[in-house]
Amino acid sequence: MSEVLLEIKGLHAEVEGKEILKGVDLAIRRGEVHAVMGPNGAGKSTLSAVLTGRPDYTVTAGSVTFAGRDLLTMSPEERSWAGLFLSFQYPIEIPGVSITNFMKAAINARRKAAGQEEMKPAEFLKLMKEKMAFVQMKGEFAKREVNVGFSGGEKKRNEIFQMAMLDPTLAILDETDSGLDVDALKIVAQGVNDLRSPEKAAIIVTHYQKLLEYVVPDVVHVLKEGRIVRTGGRELVDIIEKEGFEKIDG
Amino acid sequence: MAKVYLIGKDAVPGRISLGKGELLDMVLVALPGVSADIGLEVDLDGENAELNLYGLYLCPNEERLNINVKVAHNVGRCTSRQLFKGIVGGRSRTGFYGLIYVAKDAQQTKAYQENHNLQLSEEAKVETRPQLEIYADDVECSHGATVGKLDEQEQFYMRSRGIPEDKARELQMISFISSVAAQVEDETLREKIYDSLSEC
Ligand SMILES: Nc1ncnc2c1ncn2[C@@H]1O[C@H](COP(=O)(O)OP(=O)(O)O)[C@@H](O)[C@H]1O
Ligand SMILES: [Mg+2]
Repeated sequence: MSEVLLEIKGLHAEVEGKEILKGVDLAIRRGEVHAVMGPNGAGKSTLSAVLTGRPDYTVTAGSVTFAGRDLLTMSPEERSWAGLFLSFQYPIEIPGVSITNFMKAAINARRKAAGQEEMKPAEFLKLMKEKMAFVQMKGEFAKREVNVGFSGGEKKRNEIFQMAMLDPTLAILDETDSGLDVDALKIVAQGVNDLRSPEKAAIIVTHYQKLLEYVVPDVVHVLKEGRIVRTGGRELVDIIEKEGFEKIDG
Repeated sequence: MAKVYLIGKDAVPGRISLGKGELLDMVLVALPGVSADIGLEVDLDGENAELNLYGLYLCPNEERLNINVKVAHNVGRCTSRQLFKGIVGGRSRTGFYGLIYVAKDAQQTKAYQENHNLQLSEEAKVETRPQLEIYADDVECSHGATVGKLDEQEQFYMRSRGIPEDKARELQMISFISSVAAQVEDETLREKIYDSLSEC
């Protein structure tokens, strides 16, 4: 079996003094795609936020190791440099900052942290073009302000675009499939499938099963009330589809 | 083309009168380190005159800056738009006092005014006082004023992409001032404005 990339042990976390995660255990090996499913309010986004280091979420117990490092002591930007990526459930709008400038800042910051020099403009443009084509965004997309005036589907495609640009080792997709039409869904699925490699892994957070038809998960977890109550193979997706989340517990 | 006045360097006119059909685009800019008391009155004295007045003040340290603006719609059918943005940090103090006056017979006036501030430190003091004095009844007027902090969700979004905190702050400030900075057509000056954000 391949090496464990992410290991979460006994993770408890709270936001605004309210405990949301109540002891999460999860191990993801390189090469695997895991699905985390669960009803609204289960704590799926909280788990995503805690893993990526959102400052207003407090870890009260437990540990998270990512590629052998203690993830919880790292800043959000350090986690990104280490290869973690979150596709936001609700992407943020940044008026006055173009996608080009945003991505340039992101890519060059990571290169700087790795002691490399800035990416050459020609190389950067080529990369942008390639990844824009991948998510089927037109040339003008590069000049648009980050997420400003984007439709729901465009926002999600922008997340996948950023993911492709940053080429993460572990991608977490928080409800990237919600509100998407089939074409956009296929783009998202292709984004994840293209990332699949023996070194990498992904967590797909969702409460639908649609995306999981295109990206077949190796492991499926059900998160309820801040705990993983069931872990299984892809057959769990069908059980959830038939019976809903109510009947599933440990 | 908008005329740009660098406060502390260029003499800002105290009073301007716009005649029939005249158009004035004007940008007031205070770069870091500038303390001043600015008083400006623009009189719209001829029908169909139009004023677009923008302002930007960057006061990250110990600056003392007051901006008093009066826009007087003395006749009808004129339009005025004002947008002032300020970044206020350190121990500086800023005040924006903006009066829109619409005379009794100045019907079909359109007058808008906004002042938004980013307060970077608890010690900084930001005052904003928009005022409307309207004597005509057929008018379209609005004003808005805010004093806010850097948005944490926006900052986290950028940091999650690997943009370090200080650079994220800078991008947020670029984002905040962009609607005013975009009015500065001189590219060298615009760059200078954006560069000075690293002092904020
Ligand atoms: N910033 C927050 N402030 C207060 N409560 C929050 C916040 N974020 C999430 N919660 C609460 O935490 C619980 C889990 O939310 P969330 O992680 O978003 O669930 P899911 O993504 O599974 O739908 C919900 O009860 C929600 O109201
Ligand atoms: Mg959620």
